[in-house]
Amino acid sequence: MLDAGVLEKRGCETVFINYEHENSVYNVTIERKDKYYFITYNNTEYKVEAEELKPGQLKIKIGNRIIKSVITEGEKEKYVFVDGDVFKVKPVELTGTRKTKKKEKGNLNSPISGRVVSVKVKKGDNVKKDDVLMVIEAMKMEYLIRAPFDGKVEKVNFKEKDQIEIGQNTVEIEEK
Amino acid sequence: MGIKTVAVYSDVDKNAPHVQLADETVCLGNPIPIQSYLNIPKIIKIAQDTKAEAIHPGYGFLAENPDFAQSCNDVGIKFIGPSADVISLMGDKIAAKTTMEKAGVPVIPGYHGDKQDTVSLIKEGKKIGFPLLVKAAAGGGGKGMRIVYSEDALGESIEGAKRESKSAFGNDTVFLEKYIDKPRHIEFQILGDEHGNVIHLFERECSVQRRHQKIIEETPSPVMTTKLREKMGEAAVTAAKAVNYSNAGTVEFMIDGNLNFYFMEMNTRLQVEHPITEMTTGIDLVKWQLRIASGMKLGLKQKDLSQRGHAIECRIYAEDPANGFLPSVGVLGKVEFPTGPNIRDDSGIYTGMEITSYYDPMLSKLVVSTETREESINKMIWALSHYVILGVTTNIPFLKQVLEHEEFKKGNITTHFIENYFKDWTETKKGLPIDAIISLAVYDSIHTKSKEIVRYKEIDPHSPWKHVGRWRVGEKGV
Repeated sequence: MLDAGVLEKRGCETVFINYEHENSVYNVTIERKDKYYFITYNNTEYKVEAEELKPGQLKIKIGNRIIKSVITEGEKEKYVFVDGDVFKVKPVELTGTRKTKKKEKGNLNSPISGRVVSVKVKKGDNVKKDDVLMVIEAMKMEYLIRAPFDGKVEKVNFKEKDQIEIGQNTVEIEEK
Repeated sequence: MGIKTVAVYSDVDKNAPHVQLADETVCLGNPIPIQSYLNIPKIIKIAQDTKAEAIHPGYGFLAENPDFAQSCNDVGIKFIGPSADVISLMGDKIAAKTTMEKAGVPVIPGYHGDKQDTVSLIKEGKKIGFPLLVKAAAGGGGKGMRIVYSEDALGESIEGAKRESKSAFGNDTVFLEKYIDKPRHIEFQILGDEHGNVIHLFERECSVQRRHQKIIEETPSPVMTTKLREKMGEAAVTAAKAVNYSNAGTVEFMIDGNLNFYFMEMNTRLQVEHPITEMTTGIDLVKWQLRIASGMKLGLKQKDLSQRGHAIECRIYAEDPANGFLPSVGVLGKVEFPTGPNIRDDSGIYTGMEITSYYDPMLSKLVVSTETREESINKMIWALSHYVILGVTTNIPFLKQVLEHEEFKKGNITTHFIENYFKDWTETKKGLPIDAIISLAVYDSIHTKSKEIVRYKEIDPHSPWKHVGRWRVGEKGV
């Protein structure tokens, strides 16, 4: 039974890490021995040599092939630049079952931080799907908040000229 | 040129490249534009305090503000650009069109009148017919602009355009005009001195736009012919002469499917996309701006000018194409620029910089030039693939796919290109490639301390240790 992500094997340290990318988890193990890294993913072991040229900048030799990549760490996530593409990953703790995100139905959260320029509805109003509920302005562009379904306005959380932050709930609607 | 520089900056830009490059720097304080970069009295005072002789307004904020040009003039500081009167005239899109029409430059049919109430505008709109364009009279950069396809949407679009225009430019006058079929946006760079001489420096094709914001610009245009270039260039010079234009400017035209051209507007400043003209003509536009402002005569003659090769510019934005192109904010953990001959990167970013939502999310303008259009496209794709920007989402994958599009390669572009071919574009989800996994694993092996390693709560059902007979890659005999 594995208790921790560190395992003594071949007299060297083995590291287990799980990366999450676009809602998939990738289980990877890494062992270091001498100048080699043994990386196991999806039942395949890759034996590589690697050099960190500058902080975050890697040159990895795998067989006759060279991988050049750049990695940087954000607050929670890591970014990998490889072969012209950028991938954002989060190291995750594996707990046996993977949590799946509940799909939010009819998201009325502000897509952006900005200023409310117009509120089109008030409490008690009946609205139809796609009706404009609120107009938010950011960087001189307008973003429309539309009703995701037919319903009745329960609460309007912002008024004109209010500052609104990304993710804040704009209008609460009860679905009909 | 041996000229000393003073840079102004707001609190959030204290480490910006322009600040680091300047000889002297003065902070404008609060990052909110109206209190900093749009604060005319403050900027004038700084210019006086530092004994600046001239101000270059760049291409945003106050670059096309006649009050600013006038304020400079009033205190004896040279504004590097045309006179306040010309900026004012060209800034009023209605007056600009009337002036151009009188000078014999073709314009698009539309309503440019004073009746600005919604009811009158709807009436005028119906006369012009659909589709039509609602445009902010004081606008630019797609702000306060709406395309209307039917009468039902006209009212709401007029009001929306007015609101946007009011907030962006402090003026809610709009005009209506006929929407051109298969339109291409082709503009001409001009230079005029203060002695009545005007030349043009050929065209720039800026048809690839998203929400009326240019994203890819190139020169020469794939549809341009020698004859059309001559005619349009002449019209651009006529337009500039009609208003006694001095300094660098751009005359924007719309071209329809039959290569008829119409005057759109004149930008009374240096354009974001000016580097592609510099790359193909060998002329330093900013240097000429300074020479002209100092009263020097244009030494360049039209007949001596020529373009060589082809250049493309891509605008790199901190925005998420997969999420409705919403601006992406965050700290740039790593920035590395592509380098090589004929690659020019005009950027304002650096490792560790925080991207905020105070200003436009443009990070960089990447420009390449080669002998031919085809080579330039390939070189740009290469350069974009070697541009490392980590920490925010950028439009780089989107730009690459546009450049790789068959119709783009053929030069079949209109201002509807993005709408036609990339309407609900999202990045193809390919999952994490093995090279990324290996890179992460190596990185974490180097940087993770044992105690920080993720702990398992139970046996990993997918543990590779449960399987036997692993493959080994990267060793002889595989």
